Amino acid sequence: MIFVHLFLEFFKIGLFSFGGGYATIPFLYHISQVYNWYSLDELTQMVAVASITPGPVGINVATYAGLKSAGILGSALATVAEMLPSLFLVIIVSKLLRKFSDNFYVRSLIETLKPISCGLLTAVAIRLLKPEIKDIKAMILLAFLLLISWKSKKDPLFYILIAAVVGVLIAFFKL
Amino acid sequence: MSLFKLFLIFTKIGAILLGGGYVILPIITSEFVDKRKLVSHDDVIDYFALAQSLPGIIAANMSMFIGYKLRGKWGAIIAMLGVTFVPFWCIVLLASIISTLINNSYIQGALWGVGVSVIALIMLTVREMWQKSKRDNFFYTIFILTLLTLLIFKLSPIQTILLFALLGVGYKKLREGKA
Repeated sequence: MIFVHLFLEFFKIGLFSFGGGYATIPFLYHISQVYNWYSLDELTQMVAVASITPGPVGINVATYAGLKSAGILGSALATVAEMLPSLFLVIIVSKLLRKFSDNFYVRSLIETLKPISCGLLTAVAIRLLKPEIKDIKAMILLAFLLLISWKSKKDPLFYILIAAVVGVLIAFFKL
Repeated sequence: MSLFKLFLIFTKIGAILLGGGYVILPIITSEFVDKRKLVSHDDVIDYFALAQSLPGIIAANMSMFIGYKLRGKWGAIIAMLGVTFVPFWCIVLLASIISTLINNSYIQGALWGVGVSVIALIMLTVREMWQKSKRDNFFYTIFILTLLTLLIFKLSPIQTILLFALLGVGYKKLREGKA
């Protein structure tokens, strides 16, 4: 029975949460109140772990909540259930776009999405600047990363690794 | 591209997806546009806005759009399973260890660095989006309005997308009527 509830709850999250990982937290809070699968303290810890492990936070936290609720099977079920609504929607939208690619409205929509997309990402960059670039060390590292990429683009992993190593070195030498 | 190969690429993407879902954009651009030339830069930009217009997790939506584009229904399913493969096992096997390590100063240091690299990656992606877009007055107007709406009026991304999608399409319809 727990598996049915688990599936339905996480399917609901996948269907009704808009705007990225942290938007799922209110739903997870609601679950903790209704089912007693995990406590509020555990939820806080789950979010912390989910945001430092690889993968999208919203999915990691579902995996973790499923694990706490019903073990590894629960974990797999919650993860898949949360993505199922998107899967259907992505397939439907992709089909419609392909079918109506010559339609005036679809073409206009696609042309309008480009500047919107650029605006969305620029806003993310501006919003992240304040919480992430807090001191001169962060500024220097950011400037360095931008500098090495200016001439030739590299694999994103390259920047992530360099920055992580720099972070560990700073912790090691207590700079 | 075989489904197995697609699974491997998305497994790699899931494994290096650190510091929030937005990094999916530079990573997908690197894997599918730059390295393999299977998807156009234009498509990636469209999928990014579409992924945010649908409910669910943006990075997963983005992966499924690319998967569908390359291999249809099964491609979308494989992309979904691939991108969550490493994160899933990370949580299932390591969650208890990680929750004790979280305050370790080296881990904190590495996370600080990753946080900064995320900004660099997003900035580079913005720059690339600019370079590769056809920038006419329509582009500039919608771009600036989107940015202002998000930063000043604090509308959510989905509200902003809906608003300007309607305005943009409406404007184009009016123009067409006149032409």
